[in-house]
Amino acid sequence: MTLPVNIDFDNLKPEEFEHILPDLFASGDGKVSQDPRLKKFLAANPDCAALVSDLEIIAETARSLFGPVAEPSDRVWQNIQAKLQEDSALASIDDDYIDPDAPID
Amino acid sequence: MNCQGQQMSQVPPARPHPGLFKRNPPIAGEAEAIEAAKRGDGEAFAKLYNLHKRRVYTLCLRMLGNVSAAEDMTQNAFLHLFRKIESFRGESAFSTWLHRLTVNLVLMQLRKRGLNLVSLEETINPEDDAPRRDFGSRDRVLAGSVDRVALERAVAALPPGYRMVFVLHDVEGYEHNEIAIMLDCSIGNSKSQLHKARLKLRELLRNPSKLPQSPLPSAPAESAK
Repeated sequence: MTLPVNIDFDNLKPEEFEHILPDLFASGDGKVSQDPRLKKFLAANPDCAALVSDLEIIAETARSLFGPVAEPSDRVWQNIQAKLQEDSALASIDDDYIDPDAPID
Repeated sequence: MNCQGQQMSQVPPARPHPGLFKRNPPIAGEAEAIEAAKRGDGEAFAKLYNLHKRRVYTLCLRMLGNVSAAEDMTQNAFLHLFRKIESFRGESAFSTWLHRLTVNLVLMQLRKRGLNLVSLEETINPEDDAPRRDFGSRDRVLAGSVDRVALERAVAALPPGYRMVFVLHDVEGYEHNEIAIMLDCSIGNSKSQLHKARLKLRELLRNPSKLPQSPLPSAPAESAK
């Protein structure tokens, strides 16, 4: 899906707008409401303008979700430690392993 | 298209992507801890875990939408990390490497569960979950602004495929071409999924009764930031 090159923005219909909206958001900085090509259309279609505004707010708010906001319980680290110790114990068994079928020097 | 609906209240401008996790600079002391961890130093493992546990866990929580699954995946990711740390050569930031590892593990698990990421659109969006074409009538107004807690709850309520693309693009800051590679889908599919995810979120935010009652748990001090 890419933005068609021959869009008549001056005579855009809401159905066409719906079709190209994902690409409009994906192009540029995603600020569809500030796209000069859509100024006339959005002014004439307030519901579409409201939709665009809402989707922009959602995207902007999503960026604020970025960050270390949650912490795992202590159980996670305890389990990791237990597994690592298990690995370590297995490794030491491997190191000490003597092949019973190996020839005796 | 019926674009009916009232405009949401404006929220304060969100801060720009604050040095995305994948582009984070190295953390002080991290390089030494990595080298020590490669030699099997347990304290270095603990340090790396403490430095990165929140981001790994938060990523898992957002992608999986479930505390128990996110904790299991966090455990899995760090075990993978500690077992494979020798293969980290420093060609990218450690956090980038760990982030990729975590995303890949989550995707592997979702694939095992039967989530077909090749054909996201057709396979994971049953009609009930698809955003409705009717964007709502004027008498259903979203009250107040979109706060983080409400959005977190709405994201958790998204179908897995929508949630995956939304989190990767809008929260984590990946580009569509990167998501397409990660999810093994087309760029167009990624764009389409993101758009549908945002539409679904709008629908959920305008109808709070559809949101799950309990928000995703988060550390109070951090979530208040």
